[in-house]
Amino acid sequence: MEGVSEVLNLFLSLDNFMAIGIGVLIGVVVGAIPGLTATMAVALALPFTFSLEPVTAILLLVGIYKGGMYGGSITAILIHTPGSPAAACTLLDGYPLTLQGKAKKALQMALYASCIADVLSNLALILFASYLAKIALNFGPPEFFWLICFSLTIIVSIAGESAIKGLIAASLGVIVASIGMDVVYGSQRLTFDNYNLMDRVSFVPLLIGLFAVPEVIDFYLKKAAPHVRAASSGLGLTLKELRASLKTIVRGSLIGVIIGAIPGTGATAASFISYSEAKRRSPNRQNFGKGELEGVAAAESGNNGVAGATLIPLLSLGIPGDVITAIILGAFMIHGLTPGPVLFQENLTLIYALFCGIMLSSAVLLFVGHGVIRYFSLVADIPKAILLPIVLMFCVYGAFAVNNSVFDIGLMLFFGVVGYLFNRTGFATAPFLLGFILGPMFEDNLRRTLLIGRGDPAIFFRGPITWLFVALTALSLFFAVRRYWQERIAARPDAAPRAHPGTGDSGR
Amino acid sequence: MPLTLKRALRVLLLGAALPLVSTVHAADWPTDTVRLIVPYAPGGTTDVLSRKVADLLQQQIGTVVVENRPGAGSTMATGQLARGGRGSDHTILMASPGHTIGPVLYDNLPYDPVKDFRFIRNVIEIPNVMVVPASSPYDSVQAFVEAAKTKEMTFSSSGVGSSIHMSGELFKTMTGTQMTHVPFRGSGEALPALLSGDVDVSFDNMPAVLSHIKSGKLKALAVTSREPSPYLPGVEPLSKIGADLGLGDFVTTAWFGLIADDSMPEEAVETLQAALDKVMEDQSFKDFIAQIGGEAASQEGDDFRDYVAQDVQRWQHVAGQAELQ
Repeated sequence: MEGVSEVLNLFLSLDNFMAIGIGVLIGVVVGAIPGLTATMAVALALPFTFSLEPVTAILLLVGIYKGGMYGGSITAILIHTPGSPAAACTLLDGYPLTLQGKAKKALQMALYASCIADVLSNLALILFASYLAKIALNFGPPEFFWLICFSLTIIVSIAGESAIKGLIAASLGVIVASIGMDVVYGSQRLTFDNYNLMDRVSFVPLLIGLFAVPEVIDFYLKKAAPHVRAASSGLGLTLKELRASLKTIVRGSLIGVIIGAIPGTGATAASFISYSEAKRRSPNRQNFGKGELEGVAAAESGNNGVAGATLIPLLSLGIPGDVITAIILGAFMIHGLTPGPVLFQENLTLIYALFCGIMLSSAVLLFVGHGVIRYFSLVADIPKAILLPIVLMFCVYGAFAVNNSVFDIGLMLFFGVVGYLFNRTGFATAPFLLGFILGPMFEDNLRRTLLIGRGDPAIFFRGPITWLFVALTALSLFFAVRRYWQERIAARPDAAPRAHPGTGDSGR
Repeated sequence: MPLTLKRALRVLLLGAALPLVSTVHAADWPTDTVRLIVPYAPGGTTDVLSRKVADLLQQQIGTVVVENRPGAGSTMATGQLARGGRGSDHTILMASPGHTIGPVLYDNLPYDPVKDFRFIRNVIEIPNVMVVPASSPYDSVQAFVEAAKTKEMTFSSSGVGSSIHMSGELFKTMTGTQMTHVPFRGSGEALPALLSGDVDVSFDNMPAVLSHIKSGKLKALAVTSREPSPYLPGVEPLSKIGADLGLGDFVTTAWFGLIADDSMPEEAVETLQAALDKVMEDQSFKDFIAQIGGEAASQEGDDFRDYVAQDVQRWQHVAGQAELQ
């Protein structure tokens, strides 16, 4: 009983509530602006937390993190510009919904999916932290390798109209990702002695260029296109629609939790895996990518499911799973606390006070999100001739701001043109992005596994987790190939009336 | 006519203002916001340390802004600093082993890590710790080296060219053992593989492994500093317990110190050194150093320059032996 009152004592202070409120609000707004990522906001907020109480400090940062996870979806849905990397998947269905005048529905679905996933993720953190941390520790390079293999199979399901083109796009993504320093030998690959490429191609400029810039180019090339009046006036989400996606949201959250608990995979992969699972199971499979609410729900639940779970390896093992949790680890250390098993023994009250705050942050996210949507959805009403130059300005700033590098602006514009050419030639950009993200992880873990196993391939099948992912990979490939053939056979007799110009690769 | 007059006036004004600017700088520094460049992404030891230092410096010399410029293992930001230009007399950079290892890894760096900079002060040093998983059969450096002569061991690091990696390479060459380097991207990714026993050993930075040593998940065989660390009582320096294994000269510490472009005026360097002296005295800073398992460093100016030059030489030697690059 005494413990409970101590926890409440620590948690129930005005400072904590303000920290969560302000944190989430900053996170949502910053997350929504392309190029300004939650990572930057957390880093910038860190010095302000020096003078705060430890619980308040951490809750402020966690609030920004959670808000940022959701905020990225807003601009992804409204202007085809993912505010954060993890929102790249949300835009696949979110933006088409905006074009159909259903922006409000999409925004609300993203918010509810995010909040539900957030709560589930927090519960996983609170109830199963020690158990999930064990899984994380058993995830060595071979297990990682198969997880990435499994993730790569989903390229087929986001490939758009042609699986072959999807694979080509993904391969191009892998090639671009291999630019820079070789991870094992430190030698330079494909850098052409250009100093700016020595590390690797930066992610945010590529992301912004790939998605936002093609919209701008497209608009100016065919100026006559009518402005779609979308949105703020559009209908909101009905309870029925939310209920229809509930299963997807729960599944997406669980995928997020598992991915989040494993250090180093990240929210972007989680949202794509969740999306592809939802697509595979949905009766409306054909409608995915053309404005399906369930797609938005899947993507957002996947990436917000990660948010609570990444704190699992951080709190229970002291291992940060991504950059943001690394900064939060820094905040712990500045306040004289070292996350890990010792923290649970020595500062249990503090941990429980944190848990209270983290649970509260999900509720605050719902509240703040509602307010923010109301204003942000007005963006959809702005005529494109005014909106797009502003978008382009943010793109330039965003590309520059990540590394304070002018080269990155050029990179962003280059990938903008690449994205535009992709769109014109019927190549989907999502597989390119996924190849770019997963390619290096695949290579790293393949090489690490071989190094650890001293060249013996038996290590690839060393335990139950690898067997599970081998089976999942094989099944996923099998279903994808089977569906591909079924669709081709189905398309054959009435090929002429139904097919898009690009369907069926027979002639290519 | 009025146009040319205006232009002439402008040129005159500009010419008059130029010497003024430079004298102002020399007389009273800082005249502008000081920028502290962190050549790594937010969140790492360098970042957290820099923000703490900036916070304390600010109380003495006015606004200090921290800027993260990650890329190419810190050489990107360092290259920009060395280029000088506008504002370079108000820009300082938190250098770390990346500064001395970079020239070994990248053969076409546009700067010299020693000649092109002003060395303000080394701030802290953090020893590395030779750690093995709790499940490891080796309880001493001797046992480990003996085993490593018959069996090929693996060692993990936070990335190729990190001080952790180079320490491993140094260990290899000094003991004449064969070990395979398994690189990860950052300490966060590397730790699970060490904790679970996927790799045999690591020479990780103290802050990353301290709590795991205390909780018994990792065994510390030795520290890589010259003296034992107060945070790991009972763990001897590698140079002492490994002396008869050929490790007598094995000292690698991660250091973090402030440098600036060589165009920074002497007055500025002195102002900064005086301010840093006060930072080092600050109790909250002392607590902070203890928290991350580091120790206060003392080298200033030329001493710091010599220290860095030595470090460059050492890594060049190690890289030559390990056939890196």
